[in-house]
Amino acid sequence: MLGRGLKRKLSDYEESMAGLSSAFDSSRGLPYPLKRQLVLNMCLTKLQTYKMLVEPNLHRSVLIANTVRQIQEEMRQESNQQPVSICPGIAPASHSYTGLESPGISLQLPSGVGQQESHCCDLRSVEDPIENSLLIVSDDDMSSAISSILKDLDFVEDISPPTCLVPTGDDQPKFPENTGLKLEDDRQDLKGAECVFGSFEISNSTSYLKDLAIDDIFEDIDTSMYDSDFCCPPLMPPRSPSLATEEPLKTFPSCNSSSANNIQICRTDLSELDHIMEILVGS
Amino acid sequence: MAVVARAAGDGGGSSSEVQWCFLQVKGAIDEDVAEADIISTVEFNYTGDLLATGDKGGRVVIFQREQETKSRPLSRGEYNVYSTFQSHEPEFDYLKSLEIEEKINKIRWLPQQNAAHFLLSTNDKTIKLWKISERDKRAEGYNLKDEDGRLREPFRVTELRVPTLKPMDLMVEASPRRTFANAHTYHINSISVNSDYATYLSADDLRINLWHLEVTNRSFNIVDIKPANMEELTEVITAAEFHPHHCNVFVYSSSKGTIRLCDMRSAALCDQHSKFFEEPEDPSSRSFFSEIISSISDVKFSHSGRYMMTRDYLSVKVWDINMENRPVETYQVHEYLRSKLCSLYENDCIFDKFECCWNGSDSTIMTGSYNNFFRTFERNMPRDTTLEASRESSKPRAILKPRKVCTTGKRKKDEITVDSLDFNKKILHTAWHPMENIIAVAATNNLYLFQEKVN
Repeated sequence: MLGRGLKRKLSDYEESMAGLSSAFDSSRGLPYPLKRQLVLNMCLTKLQTYKMLVEPNLHRSVLIANTVRQIQEEMRQESNQQPVSICPGIAPASHSYTGLESPGISLQLPSGVGQQESHCCDLRSVEDPIENSLLIVSDDDMSSAISSILKDLDFVEDISPPTCLVPTGDDQPKFPENTGLKLEDDRQDLKGAECVFGSFEISNSTSYLKDLAIDDIFEDIDTSMYDSDFCCPPLMPPRSPSLATEEPLKTFPSCNSSSANNIQICRTDLSELDHIMEILVGS
Repeated sequence: MAVVARAAGDGGGSSSEVQWCFLQVKGAIDEDVAEADIISTVEFNYTGDLLATGDKGGRVVIFQREQETKSRPLSRGEYNVYSTFQSHEPEFDYLKSLEIEEKINKIRWLPQQNAAHFLLSTNDKTIKLWKISERDKRAEGYNLKDEDGRLREPFRVTELRVPTLKPMDLMVEASPRRTFANAHTYHINSISVNSDYATYLSADDLRINLWHLEVTNRSFNIVDIKPANMEELTEVITAAEFHPHHCNVFVYSSSKGTIRLCDMRSAALCDQHSKFFEEPEDPSSRSFFSEIISSISDVKFSHSGRYMMTRDYLSVKVWDINMENRPVETYQVHEYLRSKLCSLYENDCIFDKFECCWNGSDSTIMTGSYNNFFRTFERNMPRDTTLEASRESSKPRAILKPRKVCTTGKRKKDEITVDSLDFNKKILHTAWHPMENIIAVAATNNLYLFQEKVN
């Protein structure tokens, strides 16, 4: 238990999390919303951890994401039943794309309520201080997180037999929409559930391009603000578009790829890169 | 369920309970377990004479059953190392900057058609066909080369002789005959040899491919559940198996606890299932973790082909393939864990993938649990037993004592409480001899063999 006057540190947070999960199991006394919040926190923490891995486990991530969706749905139904609505803008049906306009989930421990545009947080701030100190997540944040988790996958073409190729034509239209909105968001911490599925396609070309190729291509650009651990920088940060797109071609042949499929992937990624450049240049 | 311990000499018309004796244990005794030595798959061949294990280090070890001989009557049924080889090496995919683990996910034997043995072994990405053959003779007396292999000077050859075969110490060679690569984007979780003995399937998280054993540069995709928009992904494939007799039928299980049976005659792409097996959820046991614990970790057809068995986190279910709306039998493996799900979720144990297996006559099923416990369920009785694979009970022919987990407050003697279970000691992989009552249980880096007590 915390002593009087002691500040709550991150390590204490972790210890109390571990304590809370066994408390969840053993005691019947924990109120349901608190239990739910606890499970939600654990899910988001796990997704966050998986995102850091080079190769997150698809099976586990899908299960955890489904659990988050389930909790989110439950919370949304409860908030819909609330007589006082402080969140006029939230329509349950239209969450998947409007959600992109709100910031991603922040895993910082808010001393109060630390998020802009978190419509429902006003509702929660009147509740228990313990709940406040846990992760407070609004419906929109979560739906935007879940939606944008997998959006990154549209960038990636996977190695598959011709019958199953996702037509790249479908990917392109979604891309600029995402680009535009992400440019607004890139200052936000797109943490938590964000981008986990983005590195799924074990092909992982997205992160390859982010981490390696783009650094090589845009060497003269200061990338320090995108080097944060939690930030999953979008594929098209506002960098100088002056560099010719022939540059990527020089980097890819150096990859040691043994199958023609890999080269196909390079070419598709290059065409997407071209597309990004066009958007940035505004042509 | 309560453990029923009966004396071996119990009469009565119905079969008495099988009593298990320790037979052998393979593997290092050290407390420090090397990661590479952790056993990741166990499989008997069709006759039960050979037992293959794969480990995280990419190695395959094959044990062979000793023939009963008059000179060594006590070594009846012992398994000794027959062959060891490195099946898969760690690979690095340079384009994706990913390391591909060499861990052997599954081994499946092919039926024996000549003197050599064949098996398929797979890691996350690549399946290999291995030929294991014996050599116990060598030729001597070549004309053109000496005994040590050097070429003889032609003018020294003064007479022709016929080389003769001389016996030599048995040498077992394993050679890779086929490599089936580059067909899976996601991690392969299952392979299954078809009853036509010519084709097999391989399944990853989102796709199932059909291969011909002779053709390595082409495979047919027969199931693809990848959504066009990955944002909509809510379900993955967790296991797949061919029907033991109908070469056009296979099943695959999902992370949502459903099983789909597909008929390859109906369409080239079997995205439309022929049968859909799902048990309606019990609303009273719903929790935040309901979906996670419903994820099926293994699916196995019975030898008869009439039933199939699925393993989810807390239970084993037997399904009649003619009845889709619910299983015919459900066995709770470790129901006492239901109240611990949050802690098990936190330490990731809830994602452990337990396998299950049938005995030769389909009368009994077996699956593993924690604390090196494994459970057998006799279907006809019904009767179940909890046993432990431990060094303590590893004396030759020692009878295994049934174990019991205490679920109430009062712990009886010899019972173990749920909180004192060791969740690091998990038995995920077990195998049952196809005809006899011999079982192989993998406990981390050790392989235990148990045999039915014979009077």
